[in-house]
Amino acid sequence: MATAQSERIFVLPGDQIDPSLIPSHPKKALRLGPGLRHIPPNELVPTVAGQLVTDPRKNSIWVEYNGGRYVPTVGDLVIGTVHHSATDYFYVTLSSYTSNAILPQLAFEMATKKTRPNLNPGALVYARVCLANRHMDPELECVSPSTGKADGLGPLNGGMLFEISLGMARRLLMRKSVEEGKVVVLEELGAAGLAFETAVGRNGKIWVNSEKTKTVLLVGRAVKETDEKSLTVDQQKKLVRKLVREMS
Amino acid sequence: MPLDTSTYNLALLRIDGRRWNELRQLRGQIRTQAAADGSSYLEMGNTKIMCVVTGPSEEGKRRNQGASSASAAGSGSSTSASATNAADILVSVVVGGFSTVDRKKRARSDKRIQELQATLAKSLAAVLHTHLFPRSTISLSLHILSQDGSLLACMINAATLALVDAGVPMTDYLVACSAGSTSSHSAADERADPLIDLNNQEEQELPFLTVGTLGASDKVVVLVCESRVQVSRLEGMMVAAADGCVNIRAYLDSVVREKGHRMVAEGAVEKGASMAMDIDV
Amino acid sequence: MPREAEPSLNERAFVVQALQEGLRVDGRAFDQYRQLELKFGEQYGVADVTLGKTRILVKVSAEVTTPYTDRPFDGIFTITTELSPMASPAFEVNRPTETEVLLSRLLEKTVRRSNALDTESLCLVAGQKCWSIRVDLHVLSHDGNLIDVSCFAVVAALRHFRKPDTSIEGGHLTVYTPAEREPVPLSWLHSPFCVTFSFYGEGEITILDANLLEEQLRVSSCTISLNRHGEICQIAKLGGTPVEAATLLQCASVALNKVKEFSTLLDQKLAEDAKRRNKGGLLAELSAENER
Repeated sequence: MATAQSERIFVLPGDQIDPSLIPSHPKKALRLGPGLRHIPPNELVPTVAGQLVTDPRKNSIWVEYNGGRYVPTVGDLVIGTVHHSATDYFYVTLSSYTSNAILPQLAFEMATKKTRPNLNPGALVYARVCLANRHMDPELECVSPSTGKADGLGPLNGGMLFEISLGMARRLLMRKSVEEGKVVVLEELGAAGLAFETAVGRNGKIWVNSEKTKTVLLVGRAVKETDEKSLTVDQQKKLVRKLVREMS
Repeated sequence: MPLDTSTYNLALLRIDGRRWNELRQLRGQIRTQAAADGSSYLEMGNTKIMCVVTGPSEEGKRRNQGASSASAAGSGSSTSASATNAADILVSVVVGGFSTVDRKKRARSDKRIQELQATLAKSLAAVLHTHLFPRSTISLSLHILSQDGSLLACMINAATLALVDAGVPMTDYLVACSAGSTSSHSAADERADPLIDLNNQEEQELPFLTVGTLGASDKVVVLVCESRVQVSRLEGMMVAAADGCVNIRAYLDSVVREKGHRMVAEGAVEKGASMAMDIDV
Repeated sequence: MPREAEPSLNERAFVVQALQEGLRVDGRAFDQYRQLELKFGEQYGVADVTLGKTRILVKVSAEVTTPYTDRPFDGIFTITTELSPMASPAFEVNRPTETEVLLSRLLEKTVRRSNALDTESLCLVAGQKCWSIRVDLHVLSHDGNLIDVSCFAVVAALRHFRKPDTSIEGGHLTVYTPAEREPVPLSWLHSPFCVTFSFYGEGEITILDANLLEEQLRVSSCTISLNRHGEICQIAKLGGTPVEAATLLQCASVALNKVKEFSTLLDQKLAEDAKRRNKGGLLAELSAENER
């Protein structure tokens, strides 16, 4: 399987997937990631063009792609804008021109009927997708259902939102973003002595906050340029050095 | 050829006998329509406009939009912060077929009219305290009874009067005045005088612009110029128009005060009448 | 109706805060335009203009028709704008938004009413035959400042356009194909350009060439159209937050400088294109001569 990974297999929608590529684990059930569709009884069809990636340890398979439109998937971390609120829900916009996701007002840390958060239209929230079916509005949560902790989710105050490509958002969200995603720009900026915080939404958004306006702009610009010009690791380092020099 | 400029140089009198900084005869009335929340009638020379205000009312704007697509929302792309937190301003302009010499029928979807509506809605949104009326609508309907130049200016002034009558809180009067220049666009002659409050004949011949200011201040809310003019003329014309605005503001204020005095003098009658009306609604 | 996603409160606050500190989100100076690029098509009268991520395509076409009865000595000149859902899903086909109405009015005032094109020269036989020049403007991508780009593209396409040559003999009109006679340019009088200013705060912050986000957040805007000779063709500050008169006068002089830059850029591009087309032009004509 390791060789297959290094060969980089690309698939087109409707392609046949070689059965040898599908991981088979004796105990765990096969997990399908985004971009694949299961046609019962046992056929797998890619629905997007991209790179086929498998993880034999987790017995999962998915297609990595840099598509233009965000399709919610369970477990994704997203940044949404509150559109309006109703008695029990906030309606949250994840991307333009798509229907709103719903975020229950009680799905926040320590939220009860009396102490629910008050979010005005236009407020930003960092949330996890907990329900995503086709033909249904996705549902979000800002609290871990098992522990009841926020884990960093919740309303985002201050800062600035930048739009990035979905592929870049995935790379930034990878557990080992430096090795696998080949993005060092945030680490480099941190190493250059800038103090800032970020939140990456799988829906192609990155939120940056810092005490200084200039720092926010610099971080945002660095990430966007890395994304748009698909810079390599070395180029990213160079870019960061250049930007930091310009700022001071 | 410009008959105006040719005679103007002789006696410095304009075609209708005014000097450069004289306004035409202004005549204004407020509360002309008993049934409306606010109404006004304004004459600037032979330009005559009637304005009727309904609102601020809480019922949604959907019904209104269905009735006429020609309404322009005040919360356009560039105005008020978020649509739900401030009142929408809907403006519809009705041009009477009898308002000009040639009886021309204008389509409701005429782009020029739509532009006028958008201009009025956006400029009124800037002076009205719309944030005091969330989720409500202020709709204005302007009827052009007679056109003789300075149309936009007269419409703005009439709308201001009607809104004062309707009791919508605003920062200051929004007043507008047009100004032209006696030079033709190409001539770079330095002796060109600015003229204010142009009539139709002058508008045909001279470059002109319309300036809408916030009360008597120097702050410009509306600036519309649709004819070719040297950039060096701009300052003179704007200053002249701003002067005209100061005079117009004084006049509009006197109309409002006079009405106020009369209402106080008539006292109970007016009050009772208006209260009865409120109950009916 | 699909709606443009409104910027979040965080973005609103940040952009305005940054502007107050003298910074723009994309790092430009307040009076700096994005990279303006102009490409002419293979045909005459096709201009493709990009400004940052805003892209506009303009095509000019001509046909012989009968003039309007009330203007027998004038040709017909129309500009049609199309803001398709391709540019932004907020636009719908056949339902002009306010943006579209204001854009087409502005182009109308800037290019048509200022007599940039001499419509009398389009007349062929008074009252019977005239040229009808049609400008089709398509917005391919919308990232703010449609007005300035549209105006530039329309002027560029019209100046690039060549209409077939014609002759009249004994009341008989002949339209020559490009092979028979070289097409002739339109009778062009002056080149107006639009410059749009966006205002922030209480009207004291002025920036040029706002992108879509900045456009959504501005409190007021003012479009000034001029030609390089300093003639104003049109000014439109249609409402919005009040701005000091002095600021507007300053804007007019800034606009004049920008218009001179646009003018130079367009002249240069037109000259380049003419050079490219004329490569061996004389030789091609000679060979046509031989074939006959």
